[in-house]
Amino acid sequence: MNDARLERTIGLVLGAGAIVSFCLLAMGIAGMGVTHVGPLDRPFPPFDLNRLGSDLAALKPAGFLWLGLLAVILTPSVRVLASLLGFAVAGERRMVAVAAIVLTAICLSAALGAGG
Amino acid sequence: MFELLLLMSGGVAAGAFGALLGLGGGVLIVPLLTLGFGLPFREAVGASLVCVIVTSSAAASVYLQRDVANLRLGMTLEMFTAIAALAGGLIAFLLPDRVLAIMFAALLLYVALTMARARDARETLGVSAGRGAGSGAWAPDDGPAVFEDGDRETATAEAAIDGGLAASLSGPGYRIHNLGRGVLGSLLAGIVSALFGVGGGIVKVPVMNLIMGVPMRVATATSNLMIGVTASAGGLIYLFRGGIDPYVAAPTAVGVFVGASLASRLADRVDLPVLRLLFIAVLVVTAAQMALRGIG
Repeated sequence: MNDARLERTIGLVLGAGAIVSFCLLAMGIAGMGVTHVGPLDRPFPPFDLNRLGSDLAALKPAGFLWLGLLAVILTPSVRVLASLLGFAVAGERRMVAVAAIVLTAICLSAALGAGG
Repeated sequence: MFELLLLMSGGVAAGAFGALLGLGGGVLIVPLLTLGFGLPFREAVGASLVCVIVTSSAAASVYLQRDVANLRLGMTLEMFTAIAALAGGLIAFLLPDRVLAIMFAALLLYVALTMARARDARETLGVSAGRGAGSGAWAPDDGPAVFEDGDRETATAEAAIDGGLAASLSGPGYRIHNLGRGVLGSLLAGIVSALFGVGGGIVKVPVMNLIMGVPMRVATATSNLMIGVTASAGGLIYLFRGGIDPYVAAPTAVGVFVGASLASRLADRVDLPVLRLLFIAVLVVTAAQMALRGIG
């Protein structure tokens, strides 16, 4: 895979991630409107992975908002993963190592944040 | 409902400006949320980080498909921005707001002065001599740095012959200089991003442009690409530590998405000198805001 093709593929990954995020967030915002939840209402629902499924099943705005926000935050990681795979296919060890280090740093952030 | 529309409108404006300048919009979102909506600083930073990721994904998607961004350079530098953002995210929960605000204002003024003192945009961008690339290479008057596949392969082959990491990260029509200083700038950008909820483009763009010799438009596009990973590393810490309010972050981010998508499609038509002046103006305004917050 040459550079131009890889970059275009990664561009598509980023675009898809942005669109999926946008749709989920838009659904959550619509839910806020329907249930009369204002953006400055307190307290805001905490992020809880265990509640995400049940909130989505119950069509609660918080479920769509948190899933959309997760999609936003994880899209760059998917882009890095796609880059890693692309460079691996091209046999570029140095760029594979670069992508692996970036992914490790992101995973470490999640671990330190969750542990904190 | 009015608050929702207001938040989304602010997001549209911040997203458009951020995408054009590689700033991610954070410099506008944090003041909007803290001064305009009375949010705590940390929640504003958390929401802003979400917004700058949206900006990055939307704009970088277009830039990559148009071959404007330098993927290799971006990924190499974002190793350091991501690690630094991790550290910055942890520090953000320890330091007082006032100290951070004054430090940030000083940094912004320094960068603005550096950009303003550069007399000639072409000289600054390192494109006035020694180009030697074929059609499609960087030419400020001709639009964006769009690479033809032939140019790209030739540049990569030349870099391989020359050897060296910096050479292999160069693009058609320009060569990377001062990679070490670029790494230091990236570390600073990562910390700044996680501390202040910006993408770090305010550091990355001038470092790549003024110090590393990357053409402005390529630097802006590459910065946009890097911003997502940088803000993601910091954003995960805010997410797990309760620093992101979904009711605020979501409407603002949707507005930013719309603004960034529009702006990245208009970027080709923006004049380079105008882009630079806008960049300097944003830096000065943001510095004043941060200094006022710090002085209290």
